[in-house]
Amino acid sequence: MEQVKITNLTDEQISFQLILHSGNARSCIIQSLRAYKEGNKDEADALIAKAEQDLSAAHDIHFQMIQKESGGEATAFSLLLMHAEDHLMSTLSMKELVKEMLDLFKTKNI
Amino acid sequence: MSTSLLVTKMKEYAQSIGEEAEIWAVGQDKAKEDMRKADAVLIGPQMSFLKSELQKEADQYNIRVEVIDMMAYGMADGKKAYEQALSLMVNQ
Repeated sequence: MEQVKITNLTDEQISFQLILHSGNARSCIIQSLRAYKEGNKDEADALIAKAEQDLSAAHDIHFQMIQKESGGEATAFSLLLMHAEDHLMSTLSMKELVKEMLDLFKTKNI
Repeated sequence: MSTSLLVTKMKEYAQSIGEEAEIWAVGQDKAKEDMRKADAVLIGPQMSFLKSELQKEADQYNIRVEVIDMMAYGMADGKKAYEQALSLMVNQ
């Protein structure tokens, strides 16, 4: 996935990038469970892998933000940024949980 | 919430080119109810898994449902999202 440099973005666009990648991942995670339910185990795995790519892109942006702040350049807080963080964190939890669930289903041959 | 911000930008763009358009954002629950009043439906990337379900509903109103273009969304680009909405109406 193409790496985004946050120095080229406005604060608002940074939040939107976080929401975009978390959002893509969220959709893939739900589709993964649905694929598994329909018996498409390989597709389920591929969708989780796709979600992980998007989450890694979001994580990379997040990492740049933290680096920027530790370099003395404070990030301006806004409700939009908090909303973006919320998207990212909830999707990360969702991914971990669904990955474990798929693993459990496979082990139990469901 | 992010989607409603994009809507504000789409409205601003439409106004800037003198076009009259009604653009609004609703939550997942209200989408099916509200789409009957719409000419096209755009959904955020976090809802793209609902696309086929929403399209099925939209078929009865003969309108199209599409996920907002990734570049338009990621850059909070109201112009691009507005143009995408128009393209959905043209290809009906």
